[in-house]
Amino acid sequence: MADATGDGGVGPATLVLGIETSCDETAAACVRGGTDVLSSVVSSQVELHARYGGVVPEIASRAHNELIIPVTARAMVEAGVEGDRVDAVAATTGPGLVGALLVGVSAAKALALAWDVPFVSVNHLEAHLYAAFLEDPELQLPMVVLLVSGGHTLLVLMEGHGRYRLLGQTLDDAAGEAFDKVARFLGLGYPGGPAIDRVAMEGDPEAIAFPRALMDGGLDFSFSGLKTAVVNHVRAHPDVSTADVAASFQAAVVDVLVAKARAAAQEVGAGALALGGGVAANSLLREQFLTACTEDGLHAFLPSRSMCTDNAAMIAAAGWYRLQREGPTPLDCGADPNLRLATF
Amino acid sequence: MLILGIETSTMQVGCAIGGHEGVLASTHITRGKRHAENLTPAVRFLCEQSQVGLDEIGLVAVDVGPGLFTGLRVGVATAKALAFALRVPMIGVSSLDLMAFPVRFSSRLIVTALDARRGELYYAFYRQVPGGVQRIGDHQLGSPDDLASELLATGEEVLLVGDGAQRYVEAFEGLAKVELVEPGNRSPSAEALVELAHARALREEFERPDAIEPVYLRRPDAEINWSTRDGA
Repeated sequence: MADATGDGGVGPATLVLGIETSCDETAAACVRGGTDVLSSVVSSQVELHARYGGVVPEIASRAHNELIIPVTARAMVEAGVEGDRVDAVAATTGPGLVGALLVGVSAAKALALAWDVPFVSVNHLEAHLYAAFLEDPELQLPMVVLLVSGGHTLLVLMEGHGRYRLLGQTLDDAAGEAFDKVARFLGLGYPGGPAIDRVAMEGDPEAIAFPRALMDGGLDFSFSGLKTAVVNHVRAHPDVSTADVAASFQAAVVDVLVAKARAAAQEVGAGALALGGGVAANSLLREQFLTACTEDGLHAFLPSRSMCTDNAAMIAAAGWYRLQREGPTPLDCGADPNLRLATF
Repeated sequence: MLILGIETSTMQVGCAIGGHEGVLASTHITRGKRHAENLTPAVRFLCEQSQVGLDEIGLVAVDVGPGLFTGLRVGVATAKALAFALRVPMIGVSSLDLMAFPVRFSSRLIVTALDARRGELYYAFYRQVPGGVQRIGDHQLGSPDDLASELLATGEEVLLVGDGAQRYVEAFEGLAKVELVEPGNRSPSAEALVELAHARALREEFERPDAIEPVYLRRPDAEINWSTRDGA
């Protein structure tokens, strides 16, 4: 059981096994005390989905079911942890693909039952916020987190542990989704983020003035018009340089993301700005984000690239904080594909 | 050695515990919450009420389908995780084999059919052998009319079992030699799973947790569409 040195029996020695299967990565990790990552294993299914240009839910679910035990076993071996030394099992219960989520939730609850330790339900979005704490435990709250991935584009104010306010979100496509769709249209392959990042290095970001949607309209985002503008431009100019299109598209996305993140930090008076999610691996976004923070005197947090994408270390970390705050989750918990960040 | 059996290939969630003395405890839930919500609490309830500690379980048996994909994955993922955590071996049993087990004393040709949705059935044929029944051929996926034609072609007296047979009763009721087993035996049972797994355990037909996967019989739609496109 959890050690008795911390609040409610959850303390620095408490070891949480985290499990993540919300999309196309099967991941497991052992994290002690919410910050000490003993192991983090991620098995990506990117190659299984590449030819379809996006994640196919049924293929993802099948792959999770095959990988869940080997990935968990490896995370435990790498951490040098036996089953009887795990103090709690945390799993993503949403948001995500329901069939994929259910594999991880089912396995995690079974492990918790067999080891007679608490099960903890973790919100995938909340876990992305905790990725920042894993790498920089000194981060000061309140902070604003810009969370950008294939499924989400959010600006969240994190006032304290478990205390969030949603400041803005996308009204249509997620930023990562726009990267995937544009990359597919340009024939650059899947996943679109790294492909566009790479090709854009060779192009001129000012070659085409793509629209920056909702630039003066609050903290929400919209990317579907941008995607349409790219398609229309290429159809009207068949000889245009693909590198210029990629660079100009990327510049338009990054401009909006960074401008809104700065505005959000200013609006709520936060001293720190953090980036999270798969799109946080984008080179231009990282560069402009850092510049903006320096100019505005904000403490910037840029996660390492492995912590940007889906992983289970952030699940275990978020699980540790949640267990300390709210205690175990009942075993009749299921998956919620539309789970929202608990805001106040 | 006690066996824990987990069965989730239809709308039902079932689990049972048994061993040399036969089935000691079982529970089946067909209404209310879904597989993922019900299964782990059902296993815990079963252990608590029968006063069996999970550390007494020496084998985890699981229904590997064919059946409903999501239900199967919940059952298989749960069973694999339990076996992994308890460090015990597993045995996977076909859902259609489980359906044939309770009617094993019939000398007729036994056919089990589970609803595969989309107007199709998973089905298989069985014949009585000393000590039980034996499957003839592979699991099949086809329409009720496909199955009806196959039944007619055998010319034999047939006992037809399963929720698939019940759902498409109109396809079979005109067949003179085919008797449908009444509701009450629509889904695979966890008791049958424990009994069949026990027989296999005596023959030491154990499997590793990472070797157990659901029997889908149907490829993901995206793969089917992709190969159709390739062929075009």
